[in-house]
Amino acid sequence: MDKPLYEQYFNYISSLLHGDWGWSFGTSMPVMELIKTHWVYSFQLVLLSSIFAIVLGISLGIFTAVKKNSRADHIAAFFSFAGISIPHFWLGIMLILIFSVRLGWFKTYYDTSLPMLSLENLYALTLPVLTLGTGMVAGYSRYVRSAMLENMGKDFVRTARAKGLPESTVIGKHVFRNAMLPVITIIMLDMSGIVFGGAYITEVIFGIPGLGWMSLKAVFADDYSVVMAVTLIGAFLTLLFNLLADIAYTCLDPRIRYE
Amino acid sequence: MCGRAALLSAGIGLSGCLERASEGVNQSVNTTSGAPKAGGKFIEGASGADAETLNWILVADATSLGYIGLTLDGLIAYDNNFNTVLRWMKKDIEVSQDGLAYTVTLRDDLEWSDGKPVTSEDFVYTMKNLMFADWMAYSYAGDWKEDVEGKSVFVEPKVDNETTFTIHRKTVNPEFLYTVTDLNVYPKHIASRYEGDVKGFTQAPELNDLSYTGNLGPYRYKEWIRNDKIVMERNPDYYGGRVNGEPYFDEYTIKIFGTSEARHAAMEAGDISSTAIEPEQVKKFKEMPSVQVFTVPTSQYQMMQYNMRDNGWEGLRNKNVRQALSMAISKEKIIQQVRLGFGEPAYSFIPKTSPWYDETGLLKLGAGALYDKNKAKERLVEAGYGARKNNEIQVINKNGSQIKLKLVTNTGSNVAESTAFLVKQELADIGIEVDIKLVPWETELRKYYINKVPGSDQEPRNNNGARAVSEESWDLILAGHFVDLLQPSGSEIFFTSDGGLNIYGYSNPQVDALFKKARSKDAMDKNVRKEVYAELSKLVSEDQPLDFFTFPTANIAFKKGVLGIEPGINMNYNYQEWYFG
Repeated sequence: MDKPLYEQYFNYISSLLHGDWGWSFGTSMPVMELIKTHWVYSFQLVLLSSIFAIVLGISLGIFTAVKKNSRADHIAAFFSFAGISIPHFWLGIMLILIFSVRLGWFKTYYDTSLPMLSLENLYALTLPVLTLGTGMVAGYSRYVRSAMLENMGKDFVRTARAKGLPESTVIGKHVFRNAMLPVITIIMLDMSGIVFGGAYITEVIFGIPGLGWMSLKAVFADDYSVVMAVTLIGAFLTLLFNLLADIAYTCLDPRIRYE
Repeated sequence: MCGRAALLSAGIGLSGCLERASEGVNQSVNTTSGAPKAGGKFIEGASGADAETLNWILVADATSLGYIGLTLDGLIAYDNNFNTVLRWMKKDIEVSQDGLAYTVTLRDDLEWSDGKPVTSEDFVYTMKNLMFADWMAYSYAGDWKEDVEGKSVFVEPKVDNETTFTIHRKTVNPEFLYTVTDLNVYPKHIASRYEGDVKGFTQAPELNDLSYTGNLGPYRYKEWIRNDKIVMERNPDYYGGRVNGEPYFDEYTIKIFGTSEARHAAMEAGDISSTAIEPEQVKKFKEMPSVQVFTVPTSQYQMMQYNMRDNGWEGLRNKNVRQALSMAISKEKIIQQVRLGFGEPAYSFIPKTSPWYDETGLLKLGAGALYDKNKAKERLVEAGYGARKNNEIQVINKNGSQIKLKLVTNTGSNVAESTAFLVKQELADIGIEVDIKLVPWETELRKYYINKVPGSDQEPRNNNGARAVSEESWDLILAGHFVDLLQPSGSEIFFTSDGGLNIYGYSNPQVDALFKKARSKDAMDKNVRKEVYAELSKLVSEDQPLDFFTFPTANIAFKKGVLGIEPGINMNYNYQEWYFG
C-alpha cells in the first residue's frame, strides 16, 4: 500500500496473470481456490436451467405461435405470465414444502457431497433447476412466439408456402431460423448475467454454495479480493457470451459474415 | 462447539452454533439402557454467516469458534451445574495461596497429528510468542495484561516440566482463573515457522485446515465448503475416547442455510439432526412425533445499543434521554409478542443465569411503573427535546424539527425484524420516527461497528477511542451480547471506556474503576466481588448505554433418535457422548 497507485495496479495485474488472485479474508482461503471450488455449483445450475428453459421455452414458443389465439395459446400465455411473475424465493420454498417436506421425494437442500457427474446429482438439482428455469421458460416462450409471429407474416414465408413446401419445413427451416436471431441475444445475455447474480436467490434457498451467493456475501463483507475477481470473471463471461452470440448469428443467417 | 467463555457480540437470531448455557438446572438425561452405539452422521443446521477462519487466534466470531471447538477440546468444560469437567488437564488448575501463580498440569497422552507430544512448551510458546506478540494483535490480549506500577504488562508464563506450566502474575485478579481455562494452543514446531509474519501466519495452510490437531478433540477436519458446510470426521485417536470409544458419530457436519425457513424445512423433513427453532415454530415442532425440542436458557442478553458517538443523534449522549427511550419500550411486549414468551426481561449485563446476578437497585426501565410513555415524554421535555402545548407534549429536536432515528439490525432473523418494528411502533407513540435498516451481519460489522477517527490513519477497530465513528451513521442497533456467566468482569470489553467491543462510545470513569476492582485483590473476598457487581449493574442500568431487552431462552430441536443429550446448562458440554439410538 506504500507504493504508487500505478505500481500497485501493475502488481495486481501481474499477480492475476500468474494465478495469484489474492487472499479472501472473509473465507480464509486464496481467491483462486475459492473460485475453483465454487464455480462448478453455479455452472451446473445455470447450464441445466438454461437447457431446460431453452428446450421447453422454444418448443412452447413455436407451438403457441403456430396455434395463435387458440385455447392452448391462451393457457400457455397464462402460465407464461405466471412464470415470469412468480418470484424465485416463493417458488423455491413452495417446491421444498411440497416435494421435500410433504412428499419426501427430494432432500430439502442441495447435497454437495454427491458426485458431480451422477444421476443422483441430476436428481438433486431438479427443484433448483425448476425454480431458476421456470421464469426463463416463460420469458423465452414469449420471445420466441413474438419473433415467430413477426416472421410468419413476411414475404419469404409466403414465397416458401407458394413453392409448395410442407408446413413443417416452412416453420422449422424458414420461420424458426430467422426468429432465433433476437432470441439468441437474449439467451446469451441471460447466461452471462445469471452466473454471478441471477442464480443468487435459488442458491440461497437450496443451500447451493455457488458463486452468486459467494460474491454477494463478499460484497457485504467488503472482501475486496473476491469482489474484484468475480467482477473480472463476470466481465469476461459477458464478452464471451456476446462473442458466442455473434458466432451463432452467422450459423443462423448466412448473410451475416465477419471479415 | 461454541467458545467456552467467549465474549462476543452477535446478530439477533443467528444460529451459528447451538445455544449453550442454562440456569444450572439438571433436567432428565435422555438415554436408553445399554451401551451407546457408534455410527451415523450428525448434521447441525445453522443460519447466518459462515465462519471466517479456523485459525483460532484470529477468530472474532462465534461460528468460527464453534467449528474449531470440534477439533480442539480446550483445558476444561463446564457441565450443567457449572462444575468443571477436565479435558486436556490431568488435574484442576492450582492457584497459589497469594493468588499470583496458576499452575496447569496437562494430561501426558496428548499428541499433535505428527505424533509429537503436546507439551507445556507449546502452551508457553503460544502465549508468549503469539498471543502476547505485538505483530499478532490478538483481540483478547487485554485479558492477559495487568497494571503494574502504572504500566500495563503481560503475565509471565513459565515451563515447569514437560506437562506442567505456571502463569505468574504480579497483581491479584480473582477472575483470572477463567481466562486461563480459555487457553488454546498451537504446536510450537509448526507455528514458529510463521513467527513475526502476519500474512504467513494468517494464510498458513496447516493452521487453516486444522491438520495439526492430533488427538486433541473428538473430531478431525475433513472438508469445509464455504457457505455450505463443514464436515468433521470421527477422531479414532481421541484421548477422551480411550475407555468408551467416544465420539459416537462417524461425522459431525454443520450445514449453513440461507434462510431460517429452509433450515426449519430441513428439520421437519428429517434431513438434519438438530437446529435452533425460532419462537413461532416451537409449537409446531413440539407436536411432531419425530422431533424433540428442548427449551434452555442462554448466556446472552438481547438489547438495543444507543450510539453516543459523533455520528449518532446528539440526544443519545444524554443519560436522561436514553432512559426516556428505554422507558417507552415495553420489555413484556418484546417477550410476549416477538419471543412468544421465550425469555425474561433483562435489566443488567449479568444474565439471571449467572451466580453473580443481583437485582438490587436496578433501574427496571420498560417494565412495571417504569414503562410509561407519558413519563418518557416528560423526561425528554426536561432534557430539552420537546415542548408543551395545551397540556400536550410534543417531542421534537432542539431546533423544532421531528426526531428521526436510524435503527440497524441484521437480516435473516424474524425475531430481529419483529423487534425492530415493535421498537418503531413504541417510539412512534412518543413522537419519534424510526427508520429501520436491515443489513446482513457482515455489513453490520464492517459498516456500523468498526470505527476510526475521521481523517486518521487508524486501523479500523470496534473501539478506536471517543472521537472515532463508524463508516455509516446510526442511532440504534439491535443485537445480542454473549457473556461469561462465571466471570462477568469480562464484560469490561463492552462497558469500559477503552473496551474492545464498546462500539457505542460509552464512558463512565466509575464503571471503569469498578471493573478494575472486580479483578483486583480486594475482590478476592466473594462478598466484596458481589457488591462490586451489584454496584456495576446498578450504574450501567442507570446510564443505559444500551436498553437491555431480554434474557432469551433458546429452543433446540433434535431428531428423536439422538440420545445422550443433557438439556440444560451448557447442553453441548458432552456432545461427544451423543449417539443415535
